[in-house]
Amino acid sequence: MNEKTAGSILTTEGIPLKVSLQKAERRNKIRAILLVAPLLLFILFTFLIPIGDMLLRSVDDSYINTVFPKTFKEYKKWDRQGLPSEELYKTMFFEVKEGSGRSIGKATTRMNYAKSGWKSLLKKSKRKFKKIEEGPYKEQMIAIDKRWADIEYWKALGVMVDPTTAGYYLNAVDLKYNVDKEVVRQKENRRIYNHTWVKTFKVSILVMIFCLMLGYPISYLLSTLPLKYSNLLMICVLLPFWTSLLVRTVAWMVMLQQKGVFNNLLVMSNIIADENRFKLMYNETATIIVMTQILLPFMVLPLYSVMKTISPNYMRAALNLGASPLHAFWKIYMPNSVPGISAGCMLVFILAIGYYITPELVGGKDGQMIGNWIAYHLKTTLNWGLSAALGAILLGVLTVLYWVYNKLVGIENIKLG
Amino acid sequence: MFKLIRATFLGLIAIAFTASSYADITFVSWGGAYTNSQQKAYIDTWSKGSGVTVESYNGGLGEIKAQVEAGNVTWDVVDVLPDQAITGCDEGLFAKVDQSSFINDMVVPPVSDCVVPQIFWAYTAFYSKSAFPGKKPKNIKDFFNVKKFPGKRGIHTWANALIEMALVADGVKASKVYDVMSTPEGIDRAFAKLDTIKDHVVFWSAGSKPLELVSSGEVVMALAYNGRIGAAVLSEGKDFEYIWDATVLEQEYLVAIKGGNEKEALEFMAHASTAQALADQAKYIPYGPMRKSSINIIKKGEPWFIKEGGNIDILPHMPTAPKVLKRAVIADPVWWADNGAEVSERFGAWKGN
Repeated sequence: MNEKTAGSILTTEGIPLKVSLQKAERRNKIRAILLVAPLLLFILFTFLIPIGDMLLRSVDDSYINTVFPKTFKEYKKWDRQGLPSEELYKTMFFEVKEGSGRSIGKATTRMNYAKSGWKSLLKKSKRKFKKIEEGPYKEQMIAIDKRWADIEYWKALGVMVDPTTAGYYLNAVDLKYNVDKEVVRQKENRRIYNHTWVKTFKVSILVMIFCLMLGYPISYLLSTLPLKYSNLLMICVLLPFWTSLLVRTVAWMVMLQQKGVFNNLLVMSNIIADENRFKLMYNETATIIVMTQILLPFMVLPLYSVMKTISPNYMRAALNLGASPLHAFWKIYMPNSVPGISAGCMLVFILAIGYYITPELVGGKDGQMIGNWIAYHLKTTLNWGLSAALGAILLGVLTVLYWVYNKLVGIENIKLG
Repeated sequence: MFKLIRATFLGLIAIAFTASSYADITFVSWGGAYTNSQQKAYIDTWSKGSGVTVESYNGGLGEIKAQVEAGNVTWDVVDVLPDQAITGCDEGLFAKVDQSSFINDMVVPPVSDCVVPQIFWAYTAFYSKSAFPGKKPKNIKDFFNVKKFPGKRGIHTWANALIEMALVADGVKASKVYDVMSTPEGIDRAFAKLDTIKDHVVFWSAGSKPLELVSSGEVVMALAYNGRIGAAVLSEGKDFEYIWDATVLEQEYLVAIKGGNEKEALEFMAHASTAQALADQAKYIPYGPMRKSSINIIKKGEPWFIKEGGNIDILPHMPTAPKVLKRAVIADPVWWADNGAEVSERFGAWKGN
């Protein structure tokens, strides 16, 4: 039907068909939106806003500016050469003395990230400042604690003067602002994150590869066996999948530790000597082994559902036309299973890269991943800014990987069944 | 704009969850034998109005901060470590407490004005007697000496107490440890000492793990919370032996979360910090009460530890026993509140590289 004729056609009620159709269309649209509205709201509140909040936290440094506004204003006049002037000491003095205990306390937590020691210095000072009635303040403050005469403390304030900071991101990649607000590398003995980033990717990629190597033949078998056997095998894949993550992890601890089942069996059967037991637990090897087992179903299930749809006739045809079995597999079966491989690898990799509880339990000293540090800063140091920055980088890297993947393979090639 | 969205978002959550009336309180502690002792000593005897729900957590202020910031406080009374008691009070997560009833009765002054006293506990090295049929390790130097006593060591995954112990093992006097730690060279020295056992350690993070590691022979010695060792010896008859040297004495407090059921929480905390309550707790776990008068109650009442078939003297198992105290390091929570983050990162780097 073309535009011109559509305009002139009327419905039985005398309304032009086009208008009537548009009306119906709009009703449908509204209905569709209403149907997905709960989901959209859910995603908004549980996903988009928290992520936005996280990104905000990773650069936010405004709180401290609300606690010491005058000090920071005065601070900008300081030439950062010798100790600051009496004026700066005085504003600091009054803002500490008159500030509420809670706001000062909260600020000191932030100041301690810039230089360890601020917390106890301000706490002690706040207690003693009450007794000081009049100036000059500089000498009296230094008399309370000689750290007030340490220029490093004053210089450290400089990195907090702006209400936004890139400091957390720098921290997350083993860089930092020095006291003169130049970007420098973290002290060697405090460099942990780059190392951990590399390890996180290494472990995730290895886990993904091992899952694929183990999962591909299993899925192939599952999809080619007659139903009654394949169902039984499927249960074997799903049973661990339904078992609690913790139970499986702890079971591995029993299996793999030095005095554990695996090592005991090897020693009992005289394959290895008692003093040469394998170190399979509380290290990176343990993290990889256990994560591979735990994530295997996420590889098998998409692979299986894709392989199930590959008609056995393709292979038969290829063989019939003279291809060797290997050649036929490589040219026919493999390409057909690529959507399943993609989906499985993506799932396993994305789950692996944020893994936390398994490395925590079995990783020991060198099997920890970036998730463990995020949790550590969330729970223990309360440095949520740094946690947020680490999380944001993780999110960013995943987005980039996704984009690269989309360019290389095409996201429409992913199939879960 | 984002601020606004955030505020509305948090507000909505708050409205959704604060619709409760006069409420029972939720008491959050570390679980296991420790929570059990609290249950028997002062939760079961708490009769005033509100009921008490007990939950477990793994330490840290993250969860509490999240609850307070979202205005959805579901925990009322929490059992915290001293450096967290300081930080949490600074951050305004805890309610202020009237400390007049106990402040003069405490072994050490309270770390902040948000806390009521609980117990002293300690990081202590221990071993299983069966692991050393011949010469037995006697002090912390032996713990760090893998030539003299070969075998793995179980240590915890965070830096507290390890730094102190390493320094004592390196020859620093227990009373001078924090002076040394306050210099950068001191920390270097501690890490150098830790390096000597690095290839021989197994890490643990849950309190029951070191006992398991030593029992199964996975390690020959480990550091653990003294109360867990004591409970295993006293209640389960394990053949563990303490190494009472460079024991690192830590404090434990109760706090009330701001915005929870503060009134009921504070009433409960007053009940849970009486001299009698703290003494009673020692009937079930060998931790040292923080109130002087509790120790007197125990002394008069020995044998104090409750066990089937005859009670046992508890004082020898306490980290505050005089002969233990003489060789102990009293942990300085202020130092850790100040330097904890920095040292922890360095410890993380040490662990991972």
